[in-house]
Amino acid sequence: MAGTGSSEIVHSTAAQYAPYILLLPMLAFPVILFLGKMLNGQKVWKETLKEGGLVALPVMGASLALSLWLISDFIGAYGGVDKLADWTWFTSSMWTSGVVTTEISFGFGVHIDHITVMLLFIASFLCLLINTFAVGYMNTDPINDNRNHRFYAEFVLFCSGMLGMVLADSFLWLFIFWELMGLCSYLLIGFYYERPSAAYAAKKAFLTTRVGDVFLMVGLAVLWDLFGSLDYAVVFNEYNIDKVAASNPGTLAWALGLMFIGAVGKSAQFPLHVWLPDAMEGPTPVSALIHAATMVNAGLYLVARMFPFFGAESMHGELADLAFIIAAIGGTTAVMAAAIAFVQHDLKKVLAYSTMSQLAYIFTGLGSALYLANTLDWHHDYKAHAIVIVAFGAALFHLFNHAMAKGMLFMASGAVIHEVHHAHHHLHPHDDHHEEDPEELLMLANYLADTGQSVFGFFNSIDLDQSGEVDTYEFQTALKKADIADLPPWDMQRLMKAVDMDGNGRINVPELELTLGRVHLASLGGDDHHGHDDEFDAQSMENMGGLASKMPLTATAMLVGSLSIMGFPLIGGFWSKEGIIANTWRVALEDPRFFYPAFCVLLGAGMTGFYMSRMWLKTFAGAPKTDVAAHVHPTNTWIKTPLFILTFVSLAGILFAGMGFTHWAPDIEYGLMSDHGGLIGGILYELDHVFANEKPFFFILTYVALFFGAIVGPGLALSLYGGKLDEGETVKPWFGPVLALNAAVKGRYHWDNSAFGKSGFATALENRLYFDHYYDMAMLKIVAAFSTKAAEADASVIDGTVKTVERTSQQLSTKLRSLTTGSARDYILMAALGTLVLFGLIWGVVA
Amino acid sequence: MIDPAWVSGLSALLFVIGLAGAFTRKNAIIVLMCIELMLNAANMQFAAAAVHHGDTTGWVYTIFAIAIAASEVAIGLAIFLAMYGQHESITLDDVNVLKN
Repeated sequence: MAGTGSSEIVHSTAAQYAPYILLLPMLAFPVILFLGKMLNGQKVWKETLKEGGLVALPVMGASLALSLWLISDFIGAYGGVDKLADWTWFTSSMWTSGVVTTEISFGFGVHIDHITVMLLFIASFLCLLINTFAVGYMNTDPINDNRNHRFYAEFVLFCSGMLGMVLADSFLWLFIFWELMGLCSYLLIGFYYERPSAAYAAKKAFLTTRVGDVFLMVGLAVLWDLFGSLDYAVVFNEYNIDKVAASNPGTLAWALGLMFIGAVGKSAQFPLHVWLPDAMEGPTPVSALIHAATMVNAGLYLVARMFPFFGAESMHGELADLAFIIAAIGGTTAVMAAAIAFVQHDLKKVLAYSTMSQLAYIFTGLGSALYLANTLDWHHDYKAHAIVIVAFGAALFHLFNHAMAKGMLFMASGAVIHEVHHAHHHLHPHDDHHEEDPEELLMLANYLADTGQSVFGFFNSIDLDQSGEVDTYEFQTALKKADIADLPPWDMQRLMKAVDMDGNGRINVPELELTLGRVHLASLGGDDHHGHDDEFDAQSMENMGGLASKMPLTATAMLVGSLSIMGFPLIGGFWSKEGIIANTWRVALEDPRFFYPAFCVLLGAGMTGFYMSRMWLKTFAGAPKTDVAAHVHPTNTWIKTPLFILTFVSLAGILFAGMGFTHWAPDIEYGLMSDHGGLIGGILYELDHVFANEKPFFFILTYVALFFGAIVGPGLALSLYGGKLDEGETVKPWFGPVLALNAAVKGRYHWDNSAFGKSGFATALENRLYFDHYYDMAMLKIVAAFSTKAAEADASVIDGTVKTVERTSQQLSTKLRSLTTGSARDYILMAALGTLVLFGLIWGVVA
Repeated sequence: MIDPAWVSGLSALLFVIGLAGAFTRKNAIIVLMCIELMLNAANMQFAAAAVHHGDTTGWVYTIFAIAIAASEVAIGLAIFLAMYGQHESITLDDVNVLKN
């Protein structure tokens, strides 16, 4: 059903409330922060409000409700609701040769079209679910105690950034919210800032995306130069695009290209992808938020937003090269990230590379769609029109499917890590938070042994006020006197804590005696609860295995999510992935350059099948690889709920496909629901279209892609990993076939892949193809070298000038100083001589 | 009536004696006395000129100069006392804190 045209704009009440979708979370940010500061540690804050989690939850719920209201209004309206809310920020004048030519006002308005609606739903829906998950994840980990308010505050700010970016009606506001997300990602990735690796990852993510953002900013400046505005209403206006296309279409291409680099940074595509795997240092809800709901989708959204430029008749063919670059970068990243995912052992890292690879699919899909929009005469040809809509729809639908599946996968992986960590904590309670004894105590023990003092005698000698207990000051004085250490008060606290067992702030004789004895024993090598357990990594798949029977819901969610990402028939991602592959090949038939991304996505489909299966099998199938994995328990309800919901969303992919998500229109002018007779008709049409395409090329392509993605890739993984669960373990019936197939394939076709594991290529993959090394090296060679030279120039030229002036005046003044002898008689003589000279002068003038 | 030229000559002689003393002597009190001598030489010149011209302005200057000299002596002696307190000497050569 075609739309009724943008002329018919419906004034929806929901749109009036649309700004609240982003304002509510933004206002919740200071509220949570201040409440957290005020109520920190109190029971009502900790138990009732979950340290802010239950403040954020209703806010995100309200955002989702408003979004849904808006979306239902929009879908009902067809004609579209467009730029309704308007608020003027500031007005500025343009000057040309001293004369005011135009008044420009900068304001905030809401722009709603198909792309907005899609992203709005993804963001608000997933933010709510991840918030739910976070309550179960963050608040049960003692390491987060009393600082979760910081997490929830930054979380809601992050969400408001994404929602604001999606709703904004100008590229200026898009950029502002874009940067807000950049800031929040920095804060959240570095949530455990006391860990150097997290601090480093946060800096890396911030700086890498900043590289892209600089290009985006320049691109926006060029766009402003061309159009005199960044409002969508102006830049997407056909008349304006025609005018620009007539004068300098090449400049517009450059502007869009620069903006695309910004998207590459934000969505972690080659070559600005290095920040994303490190971003796993953040807590798991943050990973889910960045990878599914917000951050990485921003780049895709920006590229999708560019559609009107590509689709304009007057730009016909001018932007084909840019579309190819988008697709090629997508194709490259898809294969590269998938290859690196092959060798990752960290559960979250596999998902990180999977995100990169799937985003690359969407970029390839968008590149193909934009190419078609730019080269086909789709404004007049109905068939071409359908092709463009379907190509664009496939990319946006994959964005939807990937967000849902990846959100679920991250939350499921979080559940696994959480429970493995707890099981480990339960089994080996001494391992965590074991602090080294301060070495000063060992020195003290040795000092007492050397001088032959008893602990009691020593204690009496240091107890200056004879109170029977030694306080911090007395202990400090004693250590200083014994020549062991002269510590500042804050360092003394560390020592006091190590000795002071009852925690009253003072030391008594038994405490000191016991501590010194323990320290002495430990120094002799009696350190028994130390060593191997420190290595335990709750995120490593090498420590898991066989969890299918222990965590059935999580395993199910992970299975469905993996199948969706792999493109297993009828489940979520299948519909969109097939669409992307088909459309890329469609373009390749017209432009041979596109064979490169086309082969990449086809190869990537098989690789996805392999690494996703490998991940699931290593985690959930086979016998537990450690004693920890054997004692894992199901997780809590807060974590289970979002997993449960998202499992159904992913399984319902066929419903979404039938509803017309496969041809989600890029422009406001075209309708939403498919023309094939309601839901059932739509489903039947899609099934027929995919599995029995009348064009032989696409018919074959579908089955080739399926063969790679659903048979070769998973088949290889089945033969290598997993295996039978332990005897006596019972599983849910739906795991039965998977595990049986795994056992059969592995039993029959298992082969030794250790040769590959030892090969140079595998090493290169484990080192992420050395990108980080190269970047570090480039930094050292270029930036550091330049900095050294600049420092030298500063020392010799700038400081040199100043120092020469200083030295010269110093020398001059030394000479002049010798005139002042300090003898009063000399001064009188000088005064007299001066008077004489003055007299002489005056006489000379007067006479 | 003495010729004013003789009085001027005496005053010039006294001034030069005072100047020479101020240049050469080490004892601060003597230097102060020399300065007084110079002042009084100037006073004498004023007085002589006043008589010669029959104009009282010279007398007025003389009285002002004597008043200033008196206060100067008071301040000068106070400085010497303070100097003695710090340096235990009023020999000018021992006091050279302004050197360099």
